[in-house]
Amino acid sequence: MNPLLYPVILPVLAGFLCLFLPRRARGAVKGVAVAASAGCLVLTTLLLLNKPLLWETGGMLILRLDSLSGFILPACAFFTVIIIVYSLRFMDGKANLKQYYAYILWTLGAASGVILANNTLVLLVFWGILGMTLYLLIELGGPAASPAAKKTLIIVGGSDALMLMGLAIVWTSTGATGMDKISISATSGWTITAFVFLALAAFAKAGAMPMHTWIPESAETAPLPVVAYLPASLDKLLGIYLLVRVSMDMFKIAPNSGLSVFLMLAGAVTVIAAVMMALIQHDQKKLLSYHAVSQVGYMVLGIGTGIPVGIAGGLFHMLNHAIYKCCLFLTAGDVEYRTGTTDLDRLGGLARYMPVTFVCCLIAALSISGIPPFNGFFSKWMIYQGIVEAGKTGEGFASRLWVLWLIAAMFGSALTLASFMKLIHATYLGQPNSRAGTRKICEVPATMWLPPAILALLCVVFGIFAYAVPLKWFIMPAVPGESFPGFWSPGIATAMIVIGIAIGALIYLVGNVGRFRVDEPCIGGETLPAESRITGVNFYNTIMEIGLLKWTYKRAGNKVFDLYEQGKRLTFLLSNSFSRMHSGLLPVYLAWCFLGAMLLLFIIARAAR
Amino acid sequence: MTALLFYVQASVAAAIIGLITSWYDRKLTARIQWRVGPPFLQPFFDFLKLLGKETIVPAAASRTTFIFAPLFGLASVGVVAAILMKQAFYPGTSFVGDLIVVIYFLAMPPAATIIGGFASGNPLASTGASREMKLILAYELPFILAIITAIIKTGTIEIGQIVSFQAANGSLALSLSGALALAVGFICMQAKLGFVPFDMAEAETEIMAGTFIEYSGPLLAALKLTKFMMFTVMPCFLITLFMGGFSSGIIPGLLKYIVLVTLVVLVKNTNPRLRIDQAVRFFWGPVTGIAIAAIVLAFCGY
Repeated sequence: MNPLLYPVILPVLAGFLCLFLPRRARGAVKGVAVAASAGCLVLTTLLLLNKPLLWETGGMLILRLDSLSGFILPACAFFTVIIIVYSLRFMDGKANLKQYYAYILWTLGAASGVILANNTLVLLVFWGILGMTLYLLIELGGPAASPAAKKTLIIVGGSDALMLMGLAIVWTSTGATGMDKISISATSGWTITAFVFLALAAFAKAGAMPMHTWIPESAETAPLPVVAYLPASLDKLLGIYLLVRVSMDMFKIAPNSGLSVFLMLAGAVTVIAAVMMALIQHDQKKLLSYHAVSQVGYMVLGIGTGIPVGIAGGLFHMLNHAIYKCCLFLTAGDVEYRTGTTDLDRLGGLARYMPVTFVCCLIAALSISGIPPFNGFFSKWMIYQGIVEAGKTGEGFASRLWVLWLIAAMFGSALTLASFMKLIHATYLGQPNSRAGTRKICEVPATMWLPPAILALLCVVFGIFAYAVPLKWFIMPAVPGESFPGFWSPGIATAMIVIGIAIGALIYLVGNVGRFRVDEPCIGGETLPAESRITGVNFYNTIMEIGLLKWTYKRAGNKVFDLYEQGKRLTFLLSNSFSRMHSGLLPVYLAWCFLGAMLLLFIIARAAR
Repeated sequence: MTALLFYVQASVAAAIIGLITSWYDRKLTARIQWRVGPPFLQPFFDFLKLLGKETIVPAAASRTTFIFAPLFGLASVGVVAAILMKQAFYPGTSFVGDLIVVIYFLAMPPAATIIGGFASGNPLASTGASREMKLILAYELPFILAIITAIIKTGTIEIGQIVSFQAANGSLALSLSGALALAVGFICMQAKLGFVPFDMAEAETEIMAGTFIEYSGPLLAALKLTKFMMFTVMPCFLITLFMGGFSSGIIPGLLKYIVLVTLVVLVKNTNPRLRIDQAVRFFWGPVTGIAIAAIVLAFCGY
């Protein structure tokens, strides 16, 4: 058997094994899940080292492992391992444990299939399976998750239809189903339609606007590891993989072309609108899920530039996002595990009780806000360069739009920082919630803090050693011909920060900080009642009140901008008008039949003449 | 290794210049208010005095974060000082990072202050820190726009190349768009430094120094030092970006610096404090408008 089949078949078989094990054998189920995912990680890493690999059958190239799919494949397996290890404790005692691990493993198998597929039909089939496992996994959240699961199925499944259309158009115009044989210059109306359809399918998977609304909805109710697994990490890898495959290999997107502007507009709107929504959220999971949308905007922006450094930045950001967003969701899970809530109003002051979780969350939050020298900054910096470079190519109006994209991206990162400051304050710092009884709270068990700790460590390593590790091994081979017009040496900067902190510590030593005195906080001689605690939830309400923003927020709150809700309204409008005709009155039905018969007769009579 | 040595030198230099600048600020403020003002070494004594004071940590604080947050701000402002000083002494070279890196590093000291304020567990500090964050959101938009104007004019994001461009083609501030961008940058600098009319995050008379309320002794010394270094670094940043940098010699460079600092102190002493919502409206309204005008003019070649 061709080695490329293993990463697809192994997890699927393991998933069935989990399903068919007796219910009492919980330990065995967990063992199978851990072993299968870890085996997949090792296997895919070996495949990466032996790229390129091909699997041909019946004269067609079905599976292919090149530089692009090569690094995404082990990344998927890696996140599966992280999530399964985390779930060992978190999902303990939850119902449907066997199904849970089976679905997770099937997702990995299908994801490997999507990434390896070279034949568009194979891609489509695996893509459909992924939609199904996503639905099943969200559905595990219980009855409360049902509406969200349905919404997800409709949006993701609907986008499958778009993808089918897009691939069909590609097939009719090129006659090829192998992605390696497709190379279209998107100039005619049909090919542009095909590209837009495929891009929308990728958007729905990754969660870019306007196809994003299933992510915040499902984040609230689905089991937390599922959210950390799919919308936060794996779906980003897959959606952005498809977008890169489509816009780099199948179509050639030139800088400042119409399609490039389409992508970048979608990206810029996603960045700003989603982060503005994140700013006002009251729930940790929901806040994070809006960031899971917002960050996709950066990736789309980077890929939309059509400049190698921008595309590489988009890909790197995809990888980084999966790392820190997964980490953030897992820390949110830690908090939920210990306090039983993710409501920002009811948390506070947890940093003292859960130090490891806090540090992981802080590092990931700084990464996502683009604070140097962490990984989020590096990929954003590459995307900015792509945007600036795209502005230098070509003439005319389109080549000046880069200013807009750059502002959206850079200002978006300030807004990201703001909303994470709110999260950090409300959850870990600030005043503890005296009613929640924080005394009982302590650090989570090792299988729950280790996964986020590994991810946080990766945030640091991928930031400081970006050139030496991720770029060299993963990104550069996938996107050839990139050059950096800017300049950034994270290693030296980090060394400087370390030395700066050492000098600062020297100042502290001189000042004898170690012998500090603990005292009550000074509130100007007043005593604050315990319930007047500042949680940070309302930090940005003053911003919400400003002119146009107030109008927009109000409408966003009513889901006016939700494509799904609008579609639902339209569907019900249509179906209601039809159902109104079903009045149950026999004379009315007879009248319809009579009218129909008349019409038929008229047409036949005309034709016969 | 030389880079790290340079960093230490630049940080120390920025700290000393910052302390001197703060003396100049206090002296000028005193003269405006018909007072005599402090002697030259007063800021140095104040700094040393703080080192000798007792450190008090609030009971509700997240201690480690509370104590170490100021150091991150101090360390990162030093990085910016090193990058800018490299351009002053060796114009046109690439060192540590480009313009985007500097923008992000300039956002780190306020972020560190915010985290420190949050960690203190004091509601007034939380209030102050949240205002600081909103202020960052307010000024960051026009600030980025002003910097983009410089990118449009020079066509590069490398600080070294921006300096060389100005050495060859004259300062950006001499063009209409450059002058507007400099004006926007100046207003944003006032906010970044947390000076009146944008000192709502500290607002001594209202929330008792806000973010700084629980800080004392050496911790406060580190925070103050960060502020003084920012007071040096920010004008130098604007000079490097818009006013031709320091390559034209010591005396013109010093003059540019003194002019900018004097303007900051004058604005600070002749304005009342704004509310935070007024500040946000101000920055997202007129200031952003001016910045957009600068960008349009830059595209038109003015």
